[in-house]
Amino acid sequence: MSAGAAANRDQARISATGVGKWFGEVIAVNNCTLRVGAGVVGLLGANGAGKSTLFKMLAGLIEPSCGEVRVLGARLRDRVGWYRRVGFCPESDALPEWMTGREYLSLMLRLMGFDGAETRRRTDRWLERFDLAAAAGRRLGGYSKGMRQKLKLAQALAHDPDVIFLDEPLNGMDPMSRKDAITLVGDLGRQGRTVLVSSHILPEIESMTDQIILIDRGRVLAEGSVAEIRDKIPEHPTTVALVSPDPRALAAFLIGREHVEGVRIDDQGRVVVHTGHAVAFYRALPGWVRDHGLVVTEILTLDDSLEAVFQYLTER
Amino acid sequence: MHENGTTITTSGPAGPAPAVGEPAPLPSLGAVGWIAWFSVREMARRRRLVSLGLINLLPVLAVLAVRLWLPDRGLTAHLQLMTLSHDTFIPFLIPIVAMAVGVSAIGEQIEDGTIVYTWTRPVRRPAIYLGRLLAAQGVAVGLLTLSLALCFVVMVTGNLGVITWEFLKLYLQTFGVIALGAVTYTALFAAMGTVFRKPVLPAILFAFGWEKLVAGIPARVQEFSLQFHLQNLVSKAPEGTPEDLPGMLRALVQQALHRDPTPDWRSVLVLAVVAVLAALIGVQLLRGREIEK
Repeated sequence: MSAGAAANRDQARISATGVGKWFGEVIAVNNCTLRVGAGVVGLLGANGAGKSTLFKMLAGLIEPSCGEVRVLGARLRDRVGWYRRVGFCPESDALPEWMTGREYLSLMLRLMGFDGAETRRRTDRWLERFDLAAAAGRRLGGYSKGMRQKLKLAQALAHDPDVIFLDEPLNGMDPMSRKDAITLVGDLGRQGRTVLVSSHILPEIESMTDQIILIDRGRVLAEGSVAEIRDKIPEHPTTVALVSPDPRALAAFLIGREHVEGVRIDDQGRVVVHTGHAVAFYRALPGWVRDHGLVVTEILTLDDSLEAVFQYLTER
Repeated sequence: MHENGTTITTSGPAGPAPAVGEPAPLPSLGAVGWIAWFSVREMARRRRLVSLGLINLLPVLAVLAVRLWLPDRGLTAHLQLMTLSHDTFIPFLIPIVAMAVGVSAIGEQIEDGTIVYTWTRPVRRPAIYLGRLLAAQGVAVGLLTLSLALCFVVMVTGNLGVITWEFLKLYLQTFGVIALGAVTYTALFAAMGTVFRKPVLPAILFAFGWEKLVAGIPARVQEFSLQFHLQNLVSKAPEGTPEDLPGMLRALVQQALHRDPTPDWRSVLVLAVVAVLAALIGVQLLRGREIEK
């Protein structure tokens, strides 16, 4: 746990303490503790990793087998009034097929307690916001996957919640809508709302936030920014590009050195080194440069991506 | 890294502090009203409603057939109405209609996952349950009483002489009994739909197994069936003096059992208690239910 994060612990709007969920002998979520404050946090994991189960527990839709979940300090399942300040976009595609988009969104707002005029105003605004105004009078059974996804997002956001759960929100969206939704999620985070967004697609999460929680086989593997996570893995493999006026000499020196697993010169003339132990490599490099008269003008980490971190963590 | 007992703290930039004070849930009466309104419209658009409508036309067709082809057989409108309620509506139509709308009232939404949208609103689960149940009961009562109303129209059209005070009283009494039966059976089947993942089989076993079996057993055991209490509330067709051997034997058996008639108030009470209890059990079951999709 990072110090800065620890300082914000009291401000946590979503908290889970020792939460687990099992269905018969299958453990869906295993002893997870987390605190989430304001901003956008991505929950990343492969299909079946336990993301949706964790989301449902956090949103009060299923009861944890052990541990405790609180949102805005309350157990949503018992204190349903707090749902006025919570938005939930489920992964499931289920919608009442017989309703029109307008009817559905209006009903969702009515059940949030808005009066007729405010319901109409918000319904129009959010249908417009997601380019659904033209299809508002059509039955949901005739909506495309992307339109349904946008409507699910609209019902989760239309009442201006403080805490928003978005379970795989970009599924089925076309590229333009996807881009728009990503911008919207970023805006919500900047407005100070808490957005917990899940996906199994790494670039999606990367495009929405730097703050991530990695989950695999029901267990939370890591949290924080991609860089922070990398720092917590002392022996993690990485690929580094070294810029030097004499790349051939540098490459020749590095071949066979400890912690160096591969060396090549890329088309930009950089020496690309693959190391199996990044921290040890970074520790040794200044000594090699100093002792052997090498020149390195720039060091770049090439695979500091979520994909690399995720692959490494889930394959361990 | 987190091997076990993972502790995660993730916070972005400090945003505006959430407003203080616990937000109130939606007033239950309003929530029940909205959910019932939405649910009635949903149930009314289901395809199975067409099949149910057709089934409910059967008594109307029977009355029509009597008027067209058996006008001189002594089957008065009064007698037809008693026979219809006692032998058609109560043992068959009420359970079928109540089962069709009742078991799916709550269970279907849980099964297909659409209940998630009402569960994530500031609405208490009892209000969700009661809204759905009221809608299902409204649809069941509507279908059955519409059928009865059509029977009435067929009986009196061009035959206004049958409209006597006695006949109207019987009609209204039948109307009330059918509505009470629909409300009770629907409450029971809705509770079954909440507890069972596949509720149709247990519902059929109850309606056409238990009910028929128990209703056929003489003496007080009959009172363990809803059908008995409903039939007890409607007037029975006069049986006349038995002239054949089986009829005389039946009369002898009934005389030997010397069963005291069950008072009407007891039947009404039993039906009302079953309806309320089933609703309460359903509410309690829904509190514990979890989303499946």
